[in-house]
Amino acid sequence: MSAISEAAKTAEVIEEHHEHHEQSFWRTYIFSTDHKVIGIQYGFCGLAFLFFGFCLIATMRWSMAYEGQPVPFVGPLIEALLGNSVAPGGVMSAELYNVFGAMHGTIMVFMGIVPAAFAAFGNYVVPLQIGAVDMAFPRLNMASFWSFFLGCVIMTVSFFIPGGAAQAGWTSYSPLASVIPTDGQTYWLIGMIMLITSSLLGAVNFIVTIINLRAPGMTWLRLPFFVWAQFVTAFLLLLAFPPLEAAGIMQLMDRVIETSFFLPTGLVVGGQDVDVSGGGSPLLWQHLFWFLAHPEVYVLVLPGMGIVAEIIANNTRKPIWGYKYLVGSVVVLGFLAFIVWAHHMYMTGMGTVISAFFQTTTLIISIPSIIILTCLFISLWGGSIRFNTPMLFALAFLPMFGIGGLTGLPLGFNFSDVALHDSYYVIAHFHYVVAPGTIFAIFAGVYYWFPKMTGRIMNEFLGRVHFWGSLIFMNLIFMPMFAQGMAGMSRRMSDGGATYSLANPDNADITVGALGDTIMGLNVSISAAAWAMLIAQLPFIFNLFWSVKHGEKVKSDNPWQATTLEWETPTPPPHGNFTKEIKVYRDPYEYSVPGAKEDFTPQAQPAK
Amino acid sequence: MEIPYTVKPRPDTGLYNAKLGIWLFLASEVMLFGALFSSYVLLRVGAEPGTWSMGLMDIYVGAGNTMVLIASSMFVVLAWAQLKQGNLAGYKKWKWATIACAVLFLMVKWSYEWPSKFAHYDVWLNDAKVLHEKFEKGYHETASHIEPGGAAHDNTDAHDGDVEKYIEGIYTTRFFKESSVTSEDEFKKAWENGTLALSGHINSYEEAQIDFSITRWKADFGVSRADATKVLAKFSEDKADKLLQDGGELYEKTDYDTAKLAEYELGQAGFTVALSVAGYETIKKHPWMWGTKRVNEDIGGKPRVKSLVFGLDETQHHQEITLDVGDIKRLSAYEPKHSTFFGIYYTITGLHALHVFGGILIMLYNMLPVGLALWHKDREQYTNRIETFGLFWHFVDLVWIFLFPILYIL
Repeated sequence: MSAISEAAKTAEVIEEHHEHHEQSFWRTYIFSTDHKVIGIQYGFCGLAFLFFGFCLIATMRWSMAYEGQPVPFVGPLIEALLGNSVAPGGVMSAELYNVFGAMHGTIMVFMGIVPAAFAAFGNYVVPLQIGAVDMAFPRLNMASFWSFFLGCVIMTVSFFIPGGAAQAGWTSYSPLASVIPTDGQTYWLIGMIMLITSSLLGAVNFIVTIINLRAPGMTWLRLPFFVWAQFVTAFLLLLAFPPLEAAGIMQLMDRVIETSFFLPTGLVVGGQDVDVSGGGSPLLWQHLFWFLAHPEVYVLVLPGMGIVAEIIANNTRKPIWGYKYLVGSVVVLGFLAFIVWAHHMYMTGMGTVISAFFQTTTLIISIPSIIILTCLFISLWGGSIRFNTPMLFALAFLPMFGIGGLTGLPLGFNFSDVALHDSYYVIAHFHYVVAPGTIFAIFAGVYYWFPKMTGRIMNEFLGRVHFWGSLIFMNLIFMPMFAQGMAGMSRRMSDGGATYSLANPDNADITVGALGDTIMGLNVSISAAAWAMLIAQLPFIFNLFWSVKHGEKVKSDNPWQATTLEWETPTPPPHGNFTKEIKVYRDPYEYSVPGAKEDFTPQAQPAK
Repeated sequence: MEIPYTVKPRPDTGLYNAKLGIWLFLASEVMLFGALFSSYVLLRVGAEPGTWSMGLMDIYVGAGNTMVLIASSMFVVLAWAQLKQGNLAGYKKWKWATIACAVLFLMVKWSYEWPSKFAHYDVWLNDAKVLHEKFEKGYHETASHIEPGGAAHDNTDAHDGDVEKYIEGIYTTRFFKESSVTSEDEFKKAWENGTLALSGHINSYEEAQIDFSITRWKADFGVSRADATKVLAKFSEDKADKLLQDGGELYEKTDYDTAKLAEYELGQAGFTVALSVAGYETIKKHPWMWGTKRVNEDIGGKPRVKSLVFGLDETQHHQEITLDVGDIKRLSAYEPKHSTFFGIYYTITGLHALHVFGGILIMLYNMLPVGLALWHKDREQYTNRIETFGLFWHFVDLVWIFLFPILYIL
């Protein structure tokens, strides 16, 4: 334990030896087929886009709190970059608000969390945890990353074309998305097709790797829970994304060659009949979109649950409670994720029978989610918990995700959804699932696996500052939104709902649809919390780069004293990962086994 | 570093990596085409009676193509079987046969099926009266003897039978095969409301001849006088200076494309120009993918296209009627924007054709020295590669087997 293992030293020698011979800089760090490099590439891009997407919403929050006033600091920059027409004098126009809103959702979901939670950790950790030398198809893996990268470039470029990026929300509902005259939506669709292609290639690779490349002895029920979560996630991506690809192709045709897949008969835009055949179905887009986008919610959250399970097991120093229930639940969750999508569409008038069906499946799917959360909670019981930074984030995940999940129940029932649909309540609900849920899990994962990637531990003090800042401000942002939503504030209002609030002393007697001063005033406090949240991320960004060179060096290959296979590798793992024969002898979380010499027994440790 | 199970199957799963990978890829392909098939169902079920343009495909060509693809599917297996026996020459023979089938399939689509549709038009009219006038008869007179079910009549009297035959043709193809329209009443309603589309070819049309004159040149536009003169000189060398100074006529009775190009280029150089229609010229040509926008285009208050001579389908002599563009509500070739049916038809068959094309590229790669190098290095791995390709190819074939009935027959 006290020194870097002999194996690691050997590996370094081998590594140097290799580099002399074949690997150029470009092949090693840019066009690499090594799953670890690709994982880090995904992680870097994902985190960068998470930050960028956050900056977009931080700018939008200004418009909501102080509509019509120039945005401080970035207003002139936006005006210079995107032109005077969208940001005259640094004031955010409603069109620009729509652009930022649509791209905030798109970037956060498809270019931030999926690459960071699924692709980055999946690429880096899964092959290590199952004892594989690499992914099953390394070149396909590289193609997947570069397809993703190209999609990101297209999305980013679309900000700068005339008219700006997509404006119809991340859901891109037709006919609105089909008839907006600017080209942003077309770029969005082409970008999405690249991102989808990337996810499909990645999903195939993950599933084959997990099925075929497990080390000897790594049976299905010895897989760490994180691997199970990634496995199910990959299936969700594999089977749910293609319908959106089909829908994207159809919407692209609607926009480019004037078909009318999603345009109904008799459509009038701007007082003019649209010259299309009609006969299309706006509902069809919603079905195809949500057929992806609901499973996508689980794509976002399952990897997070996996990361949290690993960290909780490690830091409570006891096995995960109910490992088999967790695995069963995650598989059931994967199946059910495919039959709940229309609960996003109660307001479309698709009929009570269909609503009743989807309401039922929606409530059923809450059962496995609750089982998973409960198992993780019970795992804490009686543990001797180490409160380090990854564990703090993992612990915060539990109640935050819990709030997100429970507040989803009123949205799952169609009768209560009618009142809450498209309000700030919905925003608060899914952000609780994804932001303090999945993003906290991503942070936890970064702090937890950073020592394996770099051989150094991230600064603990800065980590704690980052954690408490994030936790407090996250709640100050999203908790008040529940109140706003229940008071009736709608989404997607560039003035924060002022136009519709009737919060005017002259109209004091009008109560229908009125939003009180308190509710409207929350816009300012939420915005302030959002900017404070932005500042709270600075310690993390600094810590991440600083620790690569200056962090405390790890004293062994297994600094957290964990049981899973990724800690059997040298630090950082060389090309090909393992320097010794790997064979698995036991379950993933054998902590505090009675009679064992230490409080952890690695999976690769043979029985006596 | 060597990745395990790239060639030999893993004992407990019984699969090598690529085979598992291709099956998963095909699962996602099933979802992709499945979504398009579902869209087909939803659009068809939701279509207004008479708007689902079914029955316009050439079944024999489609059936022939189906046979070609099925044959290719068989050849691809025979090729693989030859490889399994270590017979490279036999493999090559069958593989070339597969490639030939795939190319033939695409040729039929590319050079016959799609282009023939792009020159074929439907016209919807603003007013049912025009439709009735054009036929000079009412529905009862023209179609009173047509039986529901539209069995072909033994029509010996070709001259008087033209109109009946035309209506019967549409009735049997466009309406009766459409599941949501099963009665003569539906057809009659479409006839009387004027929602019935006329179907046929544009045999000739009257297109505007345009007088083109320059009104003035804006000195403050941002283009120097010398540059503007240079631009103008491209169109009129000798009169450039005078035209820039005083304006005047540049072209007399020119065609649309010339006028539009000059309008654009001169506009960029700060000229204000005026286009007016001097007269119309009859052009005998089958145009390619025209739409409503084109025939409705306005040039100085007059339409770009004045009238169309429309050769109707389903009559023995391709009876011609002349349509004034003012009467046209919508004009579309049988291209994707024609209707949701053609939209989904081109989308699915286009995506399928892309798969066939991709398959051809992969097969060619495997047949070239660069692909065959693997055979000389590791025979088993090369054979596996051909097997996984075969799985993909069967899938492409299978998609077509579903496509053919839903787009051509049902």
